Amino acid sequence: MGISTVAVGSGGSEAQKAQEGAISLWNFMLVAGQLVLLLLLFRQFQIESAAFLRLAVLAFAGFAIHAFLPLAYRLPFFALLSLAGIGLVLGIANGIWLVAIGLVLIGICHLPLSFRLRMALLILAGATLVAQRAALVPFTWSEAIWPILGSMFMFRLIVYVYDLRHEKTSGTWAQRLAYFFMLPNACFPLFPVIDYKTFRSNWYDDDAYRIYQVGVDWMVRGVIHLILYRIVYYHLTLAPSEVTGPAHLMQYLVANFLLYLRVSGLFHLIVGMLHLFGFRLPETHNRYLLASSFTDFWRRINIYWKDFMQKVFYYPAVFALRKFGTTNALVVATLYVFLMTWFLHAYQWFWLRGTVLFVWQDILFWAILGVLVVANSLYEIKYGRKRSLGKQARTWRDTAKLVAKTYGTFWFIVVLWSFWTTESLPEWFAMWRVLGGDYTFGVLLFPALALAVIALGTIPRDSGVRNVRASAMAANDWIRERAITMVAMLALIVVSVEGVSTSIGPQIATFVHSLRSGQLSRLDTAKLERGYYESLLAVNSFNSQLWEVYSKKPANWLDVNSANLKRFVPGFTRNELIPSFVSNTKYGTISINRFGMRDQDYAEKPAAGTYRAMLLGASSVMGWGVSDGQTFEALVEQRLNAKPPVPGFARFELLNMGIPGYDPPQQMVMVDRAVEFGPHAVYFVATGREISRSVRNLVTATLDRLEIPYPQLRKFVQAAGIHADMDEASAVKALMPHGPQILATVYGYIADKARMHDAVPVWIFLPQVRSGAWEEETAETVRIAETAGFVVIDMEDIYRPHDYTKLRVAEWDDHPNAAGHQLIAERLHAELIARRPQILTTARTP
Amino acid sequence: MSQEVRSNVKEFILREFLPGEDPNDLTDDLPLITAGILDSIATLKLVMHLEERFGITLAAHEANKDHLDTIEQISNLVLSKMKQEACHARQSPAA
Repeated sequence: MGISTVAVGSGGSEAQKAQEGAISLWNFMLVAGQLVLLLLLFRQFQIESAAFLRLAVLAFAGFAIHAFLPLAYRLPFFALLSLAGIGLVLGIANGIWLVAIGLVLIGICHLPLSFRLRMALLILAGATLVAQRAALVPFTWSEAIWPILGSMFMFRLIVYVYDLRHEKTSGTWAQRLAYFFMLPNACFPLFPVIDYKTFRSNWYDDDAYRIYQVGVDWMVRGVIHLILYRIVYYHLTLAPSEVTGPAHLMQYLVANFLLYLRVSGLFHLIVGMLHLFGFRLPETHNRYLLASSFTDFWRRINIYWKDFMQKVFYYPAVFALRKFGTTNALVVATLYVFLMTWFLHAYQWFWLRGTVLFVWQDILFWAILGVLVVANSLYEIKYGRKRSLGKQARTWRDTAKLVAKTYGTFWFIVVLWSFWTTESLPEWFAMWRVLGGDYTFGVLLFPALALAVIALGTIPRDSGVRNVRASAMAANDWIRERAITMVAMLALIVVSVEGVSTSIGPQIATFVHSLRSGQLSRLDTAKLERGYYESLLAVNSFNSQLWEVYSKKPANWLDVNSANLKRFVPGFTRNELIPSFVSNTKYGTISINRFGMRDQDYAEKPAAGTYRAMLLGASSVMGWGVSDGQTFEALVEQRLNAKPPVPGFARFELLNMGIPGYDPPQQMVMVDRAVEFGPHAVYFVATGREISRSVRNLVTATLDRLEIPYPQLRKFVQAAGIHADMDEASAVKALMPHGPQILATVYGYIADKARMHDAVPVWIFLPQVRSGAWEEETAETVRIAETAGFVVIDMEDIYRPHDYTKLRVAEWDDHPNAAGHQLIAERLHAELIARRPQILTTARTP
Repeated sequence: MSQEVRSNVKEFILREFLPGEDPNDLTDDLPLITAGILDSIATLKLVMHLEERFGITLAAHEANKDHLDTIEQISNLVLSKMKQEACHARQSPAA
């Protein structure tokens, strides 16, 4: 093993060449030790996915070998490691397909033909892939590879071809494979546009140990960004319908923008990981919250994108147009860059999502930002901008001016960003009406925090020079950076230990616990539950965890809405199960009886000596995801009949009236039907967010101009003043304060209806097979059910001791699977037995 | 010639982009584009200056950190371009 702490580069003596990339054992142990801590950090905070953790283990283990290989073998090793990473994440078959398609594309670039002919072939190959991605032309590989294949080639191929055109040497095959298939990309569809020349020229262009250490620093920084992102994602984001005043508006704007921390976090992780293999790549972001102008913002946020646009589009446009005057060329070229950014954003969307993106807020965002950057650029051409090689000397006046400019830029960007990411333009415009609302001291919170961050951030640093080689850093600076990294890592690991956070206090423990997982937020869980992600048009969704869950779902995935089990019916219920219908799904047979219930056939009234209960609920009750006979309703019925728990009933019948998608208000219609079957009990199965879903149901009915058949519900709609011409967020906002009373009315109706027909009303809480975000309304919902006079069976904790990922159909479909239904049946049966005097009563004579 | 080019480039950068800075801090190997000292507008201004001052023509793909990142690189590029243009001039048929 060589010893080298000297900045290295190509050329030089043989001895020096031999030392290139060398690292002492001590320094290697330092780095390796930190990587072990990093793995622990990834695990403790469940950073990204399980696939990422596996990839990180592969990467760090690969680093340990790579660091001691002769330099000539390192790139081929990295390329092979990257291919292994693809197989590890996507599976062998998918990996082979992805690599094969990639090799064809790279191979075309190097055919012994003229450049024009090669480009024509490349365009033809690209067009074929486009047609396949759009499902116009069949393909034999899995859909799962499209986002990663797109991510690897959609931009890097453009950069590569540009360099092929202009460079004398295009590198070796190891460099090409390493560039296109680079290791972290297997896990991340959202990936920085790494420049090919930089990728090659910066490889081991500095002391190896220093390159690796910077990589570790950046990975830690990435983790910190991702944890900050979780604070924002779980605790600060608001839905537009929740913005009820100026203070909420400030929170909404800032939190919405800060969701970008996910992108900056991931990019730091990715580029940091690449440092471990000698790629001394530049920073991806530069304190983008501290941009003091629109051009400054463009230069600080996603620097790799800015460099890509500059190289491939901006400079060629300027040089082509400068005969019309440099300023004119600059203006046109800048607008061209923003036009291309819009187009390539849509192009990226197509590869990652398989659909075309064309929404006005996306077009307008880039147009507005483009015009602002042009205006700023013209100003800079005329007046210049301040630069410094060392610590900037500033007067108080200069500092105040800079803080004011930065603050103004921040808020402008934040507002523009909210416009860009809104899912509904009418909702966005309607949201601003809250500025006419009540102003409290709370409205100052986020503006004050932003000002504090900006003021601290504008304290002059030691040097205005960025991306310096680590070996050129002053010793004190180097030691300080190491200390920060180690302290940050250790502090995060320590605080993530449950015993430590619990000893600080229960609220801290709960807060830390909330950051230690990659669950969906309450807002995204609600969207997933509503099937809303299908129509997600939020253009910034690439960094959304909900989008990532959705992107794993195969296009031909059968979900409850596409299974064609329902038919449209006019009126408040909208749809019902098709009577006397049988469907063979991948989960087994779904049989619907003559009454439109997913159940066996029953007589209209129970026979003498037969206990009958009607189950009301939605798709979990119906049993989406399991075959006939595997639903918890069928299993409980079997158990009760196998061993009748009460004398007086020889037979037990549970009739499954679960309808997918039904919300609590619609169950009022169902209980009207249920009592006609002469039941002894009505079991109402509630899931999460009963209040919100009730409100949304009435809002949707109003906006769709459906008649709400119950005057006791119509009065809430009238009291809230909602009407069909409102946007959804405003209508929800107006009706939500009535939510608890609406649910109380619904529950009261169902319980009273049951009692009027001598049936016992039973309320069963069955949580979703997903931890966390559905729980917020549960306590109040239980109280409402108790007040309405239900016999309450609360199974809130049913999944807690178990690994819920083994109990649900899929990550994007949290219906219980067969094992889940078994668990539910076991528990529900036990609960019914425990309450048999109240529920399995023989008091009523049929 | 090389020294003359370096001096000229250094003096231009200091005057246009780093007024008031210590000239000794602007070394020949300081990475100007990579370090964020020269942005795209500044790079274009530099290109225009080089073309006017030294009678050369740069291409779009040369306006990047591979060719214009340090004073040394800029100087090498200018000299190579001047040599190229002189060579072309010699090879052109006489008017």
